[in-house]
Amino acid sequence: MTNGNSGGAEGVLGLPPSSSISVAYHSRFSSHDDLMLLEVDEKLLPEFLFQRVTLRGGPDEDAVLCTESKTYAIKFVGTSNSVFLIPPSDVSSEFIESNGDGNIAVASVLKVATGCMELAEVAPKLDQLKMFLSQNPYGFAEASDMEIDHEDEKKKPGLFTWGDLVCRIQASDEELRMGLKLLSAIEIDGYWRILDNEYMNRIINFLLHNITLNDWTFDSLNRDEVLVGLQADGFPLNVASHVFELFCIKKDEELCTWKLNEKPICVHLAREILKDGKMKMDTFMDKWTLKIPSGITASLDVLKGEVLTEKLGMDTWVYLFSVSSLPSTPADRFSKLFEERSKWGWKDLEPFVRDLKIPGHSLEGLLLKYTRRTQPNVDSEPVFSSR
Amino acid sequence: MQIKVKCSCGEGKCPEWAIVELQGVVQSQPGFENRLQNLQIGTLCRPSSQESYTFTVGYHELVGTKVSLKKPILVLKKIKVPNEEGENLVGVEMNVVGIIRHKILFKTRPRALISRPDPTPTDKGGKTSTSEQG
Repeated sequence: MTNGNSGGAEGVLGLPPSSSISVAYHSRFSSHDDLMLLEVDEKLLPEFLFQRVTLRGGPDEDAVLCTESKTYAIKFVGTSNSVFLIPPSDVSSEFIESNGDGNIAVASVLKVATGCMELAEVAPKLDQLKMFLSQNPYGFAEASDMEIDHEDEKKKPGLFTWGDLVCRIQASDEELRMGLKLLSAIEIDGYWRILDNEYMNRIINFLLHNITLNDWTFDSLNRDEVLVGLQADGFPLNVASHVFELFCIKKDEELCTWKLNEKPICVHLAREILKDGKMKMDTFMDKWTLKIPSGITASLDVLKGEVLTEKLGMDTWVYLFSVSSLPSTPADRFSKLFEERSKWGWKDLEPFVRDLKIPGHSLEGLLLKYTRRTQPNVDSEPVFSSR
Repeated sequence: MQIKVKCSCGEGKCPEWAIVELQGVVQSQPGFENRLQNLQIGTLCRPSSQESYTFTVGYHELVGTKVSLKKPILVLKKIKVPNEEGENLVGVEMNVVGIIRHKILFKTRPRALISRPDPTPTDKGGKTSTSEQG
């Protein structure tokens, strides 16, 4: 056996046939608790090499690993094997042997690894986002206060910049942006805010009122005209513009016309009517159709996932029950749903579970795991209850 | 809290580390437990052009192969950096210092070699031996 020509990792991996290499403890062998092994999918490798990966989490949470668009849980998998870790013998490396003998090739073991970390893709944890932003919603009082004190660098409580959110929410940047969008959050003076309901309602009422007042057609609105009108009513441009885009959609790219977005408008008006509690269906429909701008048809379909109906005696009652107020983790979601009702027909249940997206799980799989399904006969609708 | 995972390797050229993995535990001669640095463990041989390897530790010989990892393993180092806010607080960063794509894996029970004194003189202290556990 001849001695291999080089030492270090390359000496081991490139050991020529009919040669040998000495394996010894490194001159700086120790537990090296600051060195860790992480198993990574080949396709995730570029994320690491181009520095697009961060670890996120609060002091009491298990850290998650985030790329720009996905979130991964980290699990340590121990081994009872002896895993000798051998660095390359690169002279510029910090792991260079301190008394290396140039003539004898040695593969030096720097550390014996006790295991390796593994990644598993998980859904982002966004439930806390609503909680944080609800601490200090943006409302009329603040909007009217034109005294914006830029000198005051001390952070006010309950206010979060993008940087603050990134440090507290276990989600990738893309998932966090999506979460903010789902909450209809708006960035004001560098802080992410949600508008308080009263304020939001006020703006929409003014918007609808102005449409009638100016005899505009609800499906052919001029954005600038509408915003000028709202500003004249005392609303800051950024807020007016934000609300406009929540409740209107572009109809024609060229002519720059917009129209009222039926679903958000109808849902918002329904929420306003039902905010004090349940109501008889007939009463609700009367009030609702009255408030909805002419030209838009009031259909209960748009309220799927926002309200529930129940039969009490001869009457049908309707009340608010929004999927947006439910937890996003499947176990908690189903728990809350079965708290509300012990049995759900599929037609009623579907709008409240269709948004559940867990990597590696289909909706069918989640239903199988968390519910018991019965079907009285082939023609009737399946019924789901708690497991 | 956010910890950045940096890679000082430069574009895609991460130093390649190696793993030699065996079942059981390598023990040092009594008295050497705290002075393992620079101690020889054994000799790794590749007898032929096959990817077959032997690892001789003391009077035990293990037989193994070079295995390509299904998923590469990154070697990460946790480093403390001065916090941007400049106070006494220290921030933490993770740095990718290497990548592992292959290992030499020994899965067999050690075979005791016919005992004879090792002819190669060693001036690096006592030799180590293997013992199998579990």
